[in-house]
Amino acid sequence: MKKLILVIFLGLIGFGVKAQVNDFKSSKTQFMIRGYGHMGYENVTINGDKETTYNGGTFAPIFLFKHSDRLMVEAELEFQINEGSLEVGFEYANIMYILNDYMTIRGGKFLLPFGTFMERLHPSWVNRMPTKPLGFGHDGIAPSSGVGVELRGAFRVGTSTINYSVYNTNGPGIKTPDGVEPGEAGMLAFNNLIDNNNSRAFGGRLGILPFANNSTEFGVSFYTTDKAGDTGSIYENLGANLFALDFSFVKQLAGLGGIVDVKSQYNKSKVDNMIYTVEETPGEFENLNFDNNSNSFYAQLSYRPTMSGSEFISKLEFVTRYSTLRTPEGAGWEVNKKEYSFGLNYWISWRSLIKLNYQSITGEGGHDTLGDFDQKGLYLHWAIGL
Amino acid sequence: MKTYKTFGIATVVIGILTVFMLESCSTEQVTAYKNKSGAQLWGENCIRCHNTPSPAAYNDTDWSTIGLHMRVRANLSKEQSEKIFDFIKSAN
Repeated sequence: MKKLILVIFLGLIGFGVKAQVNDFKSSKTQFMIRGYGHMGYENVTINGDKETTYNGGTFAPIFLFKHSDRLMVEAELEFQINEGSLEVGFEYANIMYILNDYMTIRGGKFLLPFGTFMERLHPSWVNRMPTKPLGFGHDGIAPSSGVGVELRGAFRVGTSTINYSVYNTNGPGIKTPDGVEPGEAGMLAFNNLIDNNNSRAFGGRLGILPFANNSTEFGVSFYTTDKAGDTGSIYENLGANLFALDFSFVKQLAGLGGIVDVKSQYNKSKVDNMIYTVEETPGEFENLNFDNNSNSFYAQLSYRPTMSGSEFISKLEFVTRYSTLRTPEGAGWEVNKKEYSFGLNYWISWRSLIKLNYQSITGEGGHDTLGDFDQKGLYLHWAIGL
Repeated sequence: MKTYKTFGIATVVIGILTVFMLESCSTEQVTAYKNKSGAQLWGENCIRCHNTPSPAAYNDTDWSTIGLHMRVRANLSKEQSEKIFDFIKSAN
C-alpha cells in the first residue's frame, strides 16, 4: 500500500513538473530589453584650456515588443550625465508592421535613414570611435530622427541586394534671432516632435549592395521640405534640401589576415537664404545675410587582425577617421573644421570593447567659439551592447 | 540647383549600377547566390555594422525577436533574415 501511495505521489510530482515545463513554453508575444552603454575617461584641451574628467556614462535601453511575426514596437531611451546632471533622452518609439516580403511600414518617432551613420552606426558599441564624426549630433547638419511614417524594405535583384526607404515626417524647424539660441539663427532644428507649420518633410534612401558577397554598399539619401519656419512668421516659407551619399565596404581579406571596414558619408544641406537681424549686444542689431549652405564628410578605416594566431592580437582593432564640417560663412554659427582621429580598440567580446583614441580637431568657429579652434583629446572608453 | 544636380547624378549612377548588375549575372551565379547558407549570410551581413553575434548570446525565443528587429533595422531581405536566424537558432 505504501509503495502504491509512493508511486502515485511520484507520478503527481512528475505530472506537476511537466505542467510547469509547459508553462514556460514561449508565447508569440515577446518582450526584450536590449541597448547599450558606455563610460570612460577623457583628457581634452580646447584652445589651451585643459579638462580631464571621468565620463559619467551613458545607458541607452532599447525596448522591443514583438506582438507577432509581423508586428513589433521598438523604443529607446537614453540616460546620460551631462555637466553634473542627469539627462534623459527620448531617442525613438515606433510601431513597425511587415506588409509583405518587400515592404515594412513604420510609424512614430524613428531614426532617419539619412545616410547610414545615425541609423546604423552611432550606438557606442557599434561606433568604433568614442565620438561622432563632425556634422552629426549636437549642432550637426544631418537629421537623426523624425516623427512620421516610413515605408522600407529590401529585395534581391540578380546577385545584388537593393534596399529602400521613403518617409514623411514633421520636418525641421529653423532657429531664429528671437529664439533660445539667437546666435544660431538660420540653423535647421531637427527635433521637431510637433509640426510647426503644417508642412511635412519628405525623404528617402536608396541603397545597393552590388556584389554577391554583400561586402559593399552604396547609398544615396535625400530630405526636403518647402517650409521650415513657424506658421505666421517671416521664416515660414524657408525651404530646405538635404542630400547624402554613403559608402561601406566590410570584408575579411585573407591576404591582410583580418577584417577591413571602410565607412564614409557626405552630407549637404541647402536652406533658402534670408536676412537674420540679430541683437549682438543690448540695443545693437546686425543683419546677417549669408548663403545658407553646409556640408560635412567623414571617412573611417578600421582593421582587425582576426586571423592572427595570437588570441590577444586577434581582439585588437586599429581605426582612423577623418571628418570635416563647413557651415555658412557669415552666419553666427560659422564653422570650418577638420578632424583626425586614431584609435586602438580591444574587443572583450563580440559586443563589448575598450577604445583608446586620440583626436585632433582644428579650424575656425564652433559652439560658443569665435576665431581659431584647436582641440586635442585623449579618450579611454568602455562600451557594451546589451 | 547644384545640390539637385549632384543628387540626380548620384541616383542615375546607382540606377546604372543596378542595370549593370542585372545584365552581368549568369544563371549559375544567381543560383549560387540563392543557395547561400545561413552561416554564410550571417558571416557576410552582421559585420556590415557590428561583429557577428555569438549564437549562444540569446535563446531561440530572443533570437526570433532580434531577427524581426534586425530585418527592419538593417534592411535585410526576407530570405536573408530567415536564413541567418534559422542558422543562429540551429547553432545555439
